[in-house]
Amino acid sequence: MKVELITVRNGEERVVEYEYKPREEGERPMALDVLLQAQATELPDLAFRYGCRNRTCGICTIDVNGRPRVGCRARVRDGDRVSAPATLPVVRDMVSRRDGVARQLRGRLPNGLRGNDLEVAAPDDYHALTACIECYACLDKCPMHARNFEDGEERRDASGAYRHGNPFSLLKLQRIRLDPVADPAEKAAALETALALGLDACRDCPGCKCGVGIDLKRKVVKPLVVAAFGDS
Amino acid sequence: MTIETEWRDYDVIVVGSGGAGSAAAHAASEAGAKVLVVSKDPIGCSDTKIAEGIVTVRASAGEDDTEEVLAENLRIAGSDLPTEDITAAFAQDTQDAYEWYRRQGVRPDMDHKEDKPAVLPIALGGHTKRRSIGHQNGGLALGHALWNAVVQGIDYLEDAWFLDVVTEENDDGPDEVLGGLIYDAARGVFVAVRAPSVVIASGGLSTMYFPKTDTMRGNTGDSYALALRAGADLVDMEQIQFLPFCMTYPPAYEGLLAGEPVTAGYLGVLRDKDGKVILDSVMLRTRAECSAAIVRAVEAGRGTERDGCYLDLTGNVDLPKSGPYFEKFLHTAVSGVMATVRQAWGKNAAQCKEMWEVRPGAHYAMGGMRVNSDCVAIGDDGADVPVRGLYAAGQAMGGVFGSNRLGSTSLSEGAIFGARAGRGAAARAKTARTKPQEDRFEKRLARYADALSHDGGDAPALLVKELQAACWNFIGPARTEDGLDTFDAAVAQLRDRASKAAIPADALWNQSFIEYLELMNMLDTAQAVSLAARDRDHSLGAHVRLDGGQTSTLFGQPHSVVVRRDSAGGYAVSHAARPKTPLKRLLPHMIADAKRKLSLKTLRMMPAGMRDNIIEDRYRSVMGEVSREDVDAKTEAAAA
Ligand SMILES: Cc1cc2nc3c(=O)[nH]c(=O)nc-3n(C[C@H](O)[C@H](O)[C@H](O)COP(=O)(O)OP(=O)(O)OC[C@H]3O[C@@H](n4cnc5c(N)ncnc54)[C@H](O)[C@@H]3O)c2cc1C
Ligand code: SF4
Ligand code: SF4
Ligand code: FES
Repeated sequence: MKVELITVRNGEERVVEYEYKPREEGERPMALDVLLQAQATELPDLAFRYGCRNRTCGICTIDVNGRPRVGCRARVRDGDRVSAPATLPVVRDMVSRRDGVARQLRGRLPNGLRGNDLEVAAPDDYHALTACIECYACLDKCPMHARNFEDGEERRDASGAYRHGNPFSLLKLQRIRLDPVADPAEKAAALETALALGLDACRDCPGCKCGVGIDLKRKVVKPLVVAAFGDS
Repeated sequence: MTIETEWRDYDVIVVGSGGAGSAAAHAASEAGAKVLVVSKDPIGCSDTKIAEGIVTVRASAGEDDTEEVLAENLRIAGSDLPTEDITAAFAQDTQDAYEWYRRQGVRPDMDHKEDKPAVLPIALGGHTKRRSIGHQNGGLALGHALWNAVVQGIDYLEDAWFLDVVTEENDDGPDEVLGGLIYDAARGVFVAVRAPSVVIASGGLSTMYFPKTDTMRGNTGDSYALALRAGADLVDMEQIQFLPFCMTYPPAYEGLLAGEPVTAGYLGVLRDKDGKVILDSVMLRTRAECSAAIVRAVEAGRGTERDGCYLDLTGNVDLPKSGPYFEKFLHTAVSGVMATVRQAWGKNAAQCKEMWEVRPGAHYAMGGMRVNSDCVAIGDDGADVPVRGLYAAGQAMGGVFGSNRLGSTSLSEGAIFGARAGRGAAARAKTARTKPQEDRFEKRLARYADALSHDGGDAPALLVKELQAACWNFIGPARTEDGLDTFDAAVAQLRDRASKAAIPADALWNQSFIEYLELMNMLDTAQAVSLAARDRDHSLGAHVRLDGGQTSTLFGQPHSVVVRRDSAGGYAVSHAARPKTPLKRLLPHMIADAKRKLSLKTLRMMPAGMRDNIIEDRYRSVMGEVSREDVDAKTEAAAA
C-alpha cells in the first residue's frame, strides 16, 4: 500500500511515496501507523506529533487528502496523501505550530472559582463540551480563524496569541457559560471574550465541524450567537 | 551549527504540564513566584489528560475512612516500601487535591441523596474502602482543568524539551540549583533559564516499552534521567507497574488498556490458551498479581501466539438479573476503555460475550526521585540533601507507592505533591542566594550544541527501537539475572552507537535531535532500572524475578533499592531500610482479604440462580435499580 507523505524542511515541500507493509493479513492501518512505520524504517528523521494512540490527547491531527483527521484513528487507503494540518503554520513535516490558539485565552478564564458552591451537578451540555480533545480539526474552513492569515500576514500579539478566534476557543468560553459554579460576571466576561475574538463571523457562517463529533453548531455557536446578537 | 540561546530569569521552573506540573505551577504562582512551565507536549497534554479519570478521595463514601486507613492501604499494597511521611501526606491531602481540580472546572456526577460527588460502587483492588470518584469523559475532564490552570496566567513554553538542571557543585555542602536548559523545538532555539528552584514533574518511563504501553509517547524516563544527572538519588526503580489487561491486537491498538482487575466483576477469571483458569477472584487481585500470573503462564508455554492470556468476563453477563448491573458498572467506571474495546474488538466483545486476549503493558513507574513529603530531593537519613532547590512530584517522585500502586491514586498524587512541590519551590526562591554563573550553563549547552550536528552512523530513532525491544525482553514484566546481563551489554553498545549517531544540523524542530535526547534519557533510566532489578534478586510486587523466589512480606526487613550516580559518572547502588507494618496490623488485612476471596469462591460454587440474586443485591445496594432496557439503551447510545 502506497501513501504519499508531504515532508517540509526549511519551508520546502517534498512528496515522499512510502510503501506501507501491513503487520497482519488485511490490516487497514491508521495514518499514525504509517508515520510510525516510516519513522522506524526509511524515514527516521520524520517529524510528527502523537501521544496516546487512542483519540484522547488530541495532538496527532494531520491532514489526509487535505482534510484534518485525528491521525491515530484515521484509516488510510492506497494513494492517500498525508500532510501537516494546513490551518496552522507548518514547522516541519507533519508538525504545525499550535500554541497561538491556546494563548488567546490567557487571562480570560475564571481564576479558581474560590468560595463558590462546588456541590452542584453540571448540565449535560457541559460534559458534552468537556469531550473536546483539543485536536484543532475544527479550525478547518473557519472564517474567523482564517482572519488571522488574511493578506498572507499572521496576526498574533506579543505573546504569540492569534487575535481572531476559532471553534475551540468558543467551546472553552461556552463551557464557562454552562458551568454552574461560575458566577454571572465570569459568564458575561466569557461572552465578551467571544465577541472580541470575532463571534460576528459566525452569524453568516454555515458552521463548524468537530473531529470527535461534538455538535459545535448547536452546543457552542448557536447559544453564543443568540446571547450576543439575539438571532441564530 | 549555530543555534541561538535565549536567556531568561524565573523563580521556579516546572518541567511538565500534567497533573503534577500544573498543580506545582499553580501553587508556586499563587505563592507569588514567577513561574515558567516547560512541556514537550502541547500544554496539558499528558498521561493525566488521557487517564480514565478515576480519582481517590478519602472519606468520599463515609467518614470511617480515616487518614490512617488510607495511608496503611498504600503501604501494605506497596510491601512497606512507601515511606511513612509520604503516605501520611497523601492521606492528609486527597480532599484538598480534589477540590483544587474542581475549582479548575472538574464537575463530577453528584450523589443527590448525599449532596456530594458520586463514588464508584466497588472499592478498587487493594483499597479497603470505597473512595474512588469517576468522571464523565474520563481524564479529559482533568485535562481541561490543567489547561485552564496554566493557560490562564502562568508563563509556559510548549513543544519545548527540558534538557538538564544546571547546578553549582559544592565541595562542602549540597549542590545548588542554578536553573535549567531547554530546547524549544518549535522556535528552534535553546533557552537558558536562571532559577533557584526546579520542579521535575515530567512523568514516567513507559515509552521504554513501546508499543506495549498505554501511556503518552513523552514518557521517555526524562524525570529520572534529569534527577540522576542533577545528582539526586532514585528509589524503587525496579518497581514498574505493568497493567495486566492491555490489548494484544489489532496492531493499531496494541498496548491500549482493556480494563482493570476490579472491572473483572465478581466472576471474571484469567485463562490460558487452552481455557484453563490461571487466576480466579481477579477482581480482588492487585495489578501486580494479575500481570505476574499472565507472564508466568506465557513463560511456561501456556500463552497465546501473541504472548497473552484470556480475560474471561462472560460469567458476569451470563446471569440474567445481575448481568445488566455489571454492564452498567463497566460502562460508568471505565467508559473510555469500553469505547476502545468496542472499536478494537467489536460489539460482542464490548458486551463481554467473548473472552479478551490481553497481555501486560507498561503503565506507571512507582520508583522515582528520592524525596521527603515536601517533594525535596533527599539522600540517606532524609536530612542530607544532595541538591538544594530540586523537587519532584507525580510519577517523577518515588516513595508513594513502593512495589504496587493502587488504582485511582495517581491522579490524586499529582495534585497533592504538585502543590507541595510548588509551595516549597516558591518559598526557596524567596530566600535563595544563587550567584549567576553563566559559564555553568554554557558548558552544558556546548555539549548539546555539539550533538545537534553530527555526521555519522545510526539514526537515533532506530536506536530507540532497539532499546525498546531490549527493555521489554529483559527489564520488562519478567526478569532474570542472565537477561539483565544481556541487557547491560546491549545498553553499553547502544550508548556507544548513540555517541556516533547521525543528527542533521537543523535548529528548527530537529526530530533526530529530539530522538537522541530521549534515547539518552531512556538509556540513563534503563540502566538504573536494570541495576535495581539485579540488586533485588527475589520477586516483590511488580518486580518479577523468574530465577528467584518470592520475598516474604510477613517476615524480614523491607528495604528500598537506591541508585545514584557517583562522582566518576558511574552508578552506585545501596539500600534504604523501611519500617515494617507490625504483624498485628498486617494480619487483619490478610484475614479480611482471605475472607473476601473465600466469599467470591463460595459465590462461584453456588447454583447460578442463587449467585445471580446475591450479586444483584450487592450491586443494587450501591447503584440503585438497573434494568436490562436501561443498559441496552445506554450501550446503543454510546456506540452511536
Ligand atoms: C490510559 C491511562 C489511564 C489512567 N487512568 C488513571 C486513573 O483513572 N486514575 C489514576 O489515578 N491514574 C490513572 N492513570 C495514571 C495517571 O494518569 C498518571 O500516572 C498521572 O497522570 C501522572 O501525572 P504526572 O503529572 O506525574 O505526569 P503526566 O501527566 O504524564 O505529565 C508529564 C508531563 O511532562 C511533560 N514532559 C515529559 N518530559 C519532558 C521534558 N523532558 N521536557 C518538558 N516536558 C516534559 C509531558 O509533556 C507532560 O506534559 C492512567 C494512565 C494512563 C496512561
Ligand atoms: S471542538 Fe472538536 S475539533 Fe475542535 S478541538 Fe475540540 S475536539 Fe477537536
Ligand atoms: S460558526 Fe463561527 S467558529 Fe464555527 S466555523 Fe463558522 S466562524 Fe468559525
Ligand atoms: S495520538 Fe492522541 S489523539 Fe491521536
